[in-house]
Amino acid sequence: MALPLKYNFRNVLVRWRATLATVLGIALVVTVVVLLRALARGIEATNANTGDPRNILVVRKGSQAESGSLVSREQYRTLRYFGEIARNERSEPLISAELVLIVSAPRRTGAGEANTLIRGVTPRGRELRPQVKLTDGRWFSPGHREVVVSERMAARFSGFETGGSIRAGADRLTVVGHFDAQGSAFDNEAWMDADEARSVFDRDQYSSILLRPHDAASAVTLLRRIEADKRLALRAEREVDYYTKQTMTAMPFKFLAFILGIAMSVGATFAAMNTMYASVAARTREVGTLRVLGYSRRSIVLCFMIEGALLAAMGGLLGALFSLAVYTYVVVGKIQFGTMDFQSFAETVFQFRVTPDLMLVGVVFSVIIGLVGSFLPALRAARLPVISALKSV
Amino acid sequence: MTTAGFIIRNALRNKRRAALTVLSVAISCGLLVTLLTLQRELTIPPESEAASLRVIVRNKVSLAQPLPAKQLAALDRIPGIVAVSPFSFFGGNFREETVTSFAQFAVDPARFAGLIVEGKIVDGSYENFINDRNSCLTGADTMKRYGLKVGDRMRFTGTFYPVDLDLKIAAVFEGTVDDRGVFFHHKLLDELLGDPGTVGTWYIRVASAEVANDVIARVNKAFENTAAEVRAETERAFQMSFISMLGNVKLLIGSISSVVVFTLLLVTVSTMSMAIRERFRELAILKSLGYRREELFSFILAESFGLATLGATVGIGAAWAFWTFTDLQQLTRGFLLYFEVTPRIVAAGAFVAVVLAIVAAVAPSIAVARMSVVQGLKTLD
Repeated sequence: MALPLKYNFRNVLVRWRATLATVLGIALVVTVVVLLRALARGIEATNANTGDPRNILVVRKGSQAESGSLVSREQYRTLRYFGEIARNERSEPLISAELVLIVSAPRRTGAGEANTLIRGVTPRGRELRPQVKLTDGRWFSPGHREVVVSERMAARFSGFETGGSIRAGADRLTVVGHFDAQGSAFDNEAWMDADEARSVFDRDQYSSILLRPHDAASAVTLLRRIEADKRLALRAEREVDYYTKQTMTAMPFKFLAFILGIAMSVGATFAAMNTMYASVAARTREVGTLRVLGYSRRSIVLCFMIEGALLAAMGGLLGALFSLAVYTYVVVGKIQFGTMDFQSFAETVFQFRVTPDLMLVGVVFSVIIGLVGSFLPALRAARLPVISALKSV
Repeated sequence: MTTAGFIIRNALRNKRRAALTVLSVAISCGLLVTLLTLQRELTIPPESEAASLRVIVRNKVSLAQPLPAKQLAALDRIPGIVAVSPFSFFGGNFREETVTSFAQFAVDPARFAGLIVEGKIVDGSYENFINDRNSCLTGADTMKRYGLKVGDRMRFTGTFYPVDLDLKIAAVFEGTVDDRGVFFHHKLLDELLGDPGTVGTWYIRVASAEVANDVIARVNKAFENTAAEVRAETERAFQMSFISMLGNVKLLIGSISSVVVFTLLLVTVSTMSMAIRERFRELAILKSLGYRREELFSFILAESFGLATLGATVGIGAAWAFWTFTDLQQLTRGFLLYFEVTPRIVAAGAFVAVVLAIVAAVAPSIAVARMSVVQGLKTLD
């Protein structure tokens, strides 16, 4: 026969003085872990949100990222005439050879300069990425030193407002508009005409090629064809797959969350154990009474473990609420986080996300702490000899 | 029984609780030390005397934009420069690796000798490196990590450059702040690329720290209003600009550290209060025997202090031993290089533990001071 849950619940509440510190401690552990995971999640969400499942991205064989890739004009010309590539209504092949470049720009906060990404795109490249929408101004015109910047970048770097200019060596690129890439990785970029970019930055080669095959079947053949062509020495992959794989940047946060999660939860388990042992010690007579009333050893173990879990779950919920509060603060205050993308060496901006599933993981995590922490104290309670327990004061 | 004996007996009367408290303090202190070390590692690049005399010159547009090789003649004429060499980051992947954690640079071997003055050749000879265009100079850490020896070949797949390298190790260096790098002939890179007449950056050594700023100003001025304007900065400033892009690491780690400290405080305070509540009756007896509040407070403080100090010693000691004696470079595949637990960090950890011990003793002491003897004697749990 199990003890009513109400008994556990009231016990936790009645002894709030002893349990408060433990509950708060667990709450803080959960907050730290949830927030760090939220940072990693924000970076991953940006990448997961990027690209069109129909598109294929081609980079140099051996390159992990566009920014470290080089594609020659010959390679582009060869690819251009592949029959698998779809055509638009003007029967132009949907293929775009692009450049990804780094330019350092001054931060608005005045804290020095940071690397920013400039993408040289073609009209086809814009067609292939409908998620990028112009929000004000106009698109750059080919043959002009003009650039369109994401709204997010404009908020971060000075000179990125409409009419402003970006220095590129002896040349200046005029900002003629802003775009919104709806939280995708393109929100970290400034776009300009590909050929203009090649001339301004004196580049002979492209960085990558984006293209769209007719359908799923031709996509498969095309991927295989590029893979098999040793002479081309290019690597093709679905655009969405490419961006999902760019998770290197989230690694440090995940690593930190993992290490801290382990170390802090061990500490929290000790705290929970201490509290539960104290609780058992203080209730020796109570436990003896329960045993005399006919409650089995097993139900006593269960009772104390439920109490431990309850205690920890309260901490977990509190922690989830803390992280939600931080999240709300960040969303309301429109605070953005920037970090360095380890592949392009450019600064990327991301929004961190506290999602319900992350909070749930936090609460489950806390319950595990509670169960582990209360197991030994519960065993001890169950093993108390009934008579001496009743005698104890 | 002496007073000290009394305090020690009291602290250990509930061995399990004492052990749990010491362990949780130990874990938190260890964690705190680790976080502070991580913060130091990420925000303060290792410094060496030689590095403060070195200047890196990059294209003003960005690091990724090359510089014309013909700038060398102008640099050679700038007073205050002792040595200058092309310095092009190759960014290749070693063997079949997808992410290689050590850098490769194309340099002019004869000129480069004047730049890494603090490095010593420990195997092979620099002469051989200068004479063989297909050879390389490799850092001792990299040699050790991959089990290489002089004469072995190192193959790299280019990522920034569309060419691959196949180099023979001619010499091994040691004694620089980062003994991981691989250096090879710029001529080889030029040859492979079809002589584009460009270099990645220029690497300069100045005569003394005093003239460094003058040299930087002169270099920046020399190429003003040319097709390739430059930005010269000290090696340290150059590294700091990378770190600034990591985002607000300092704030992040700082806030985590304070949460850790706060959690630690909560745990210790609650344990101390538990320990005191349990013996309210005894303390009341002591009071009735004539012990004064200050004396009771000092008992509690001493106990709290002892537990916290023990925990801190174990935690900080373990963290220090772990980070000092593990081969982190091997473990993190070259991501963390030094991870040095400095005396300062140890002191910070110890300081937190001391403050903690005092704060943890205060709350129960107030309760004890306030209680009346009669009330204390009546207390049951």
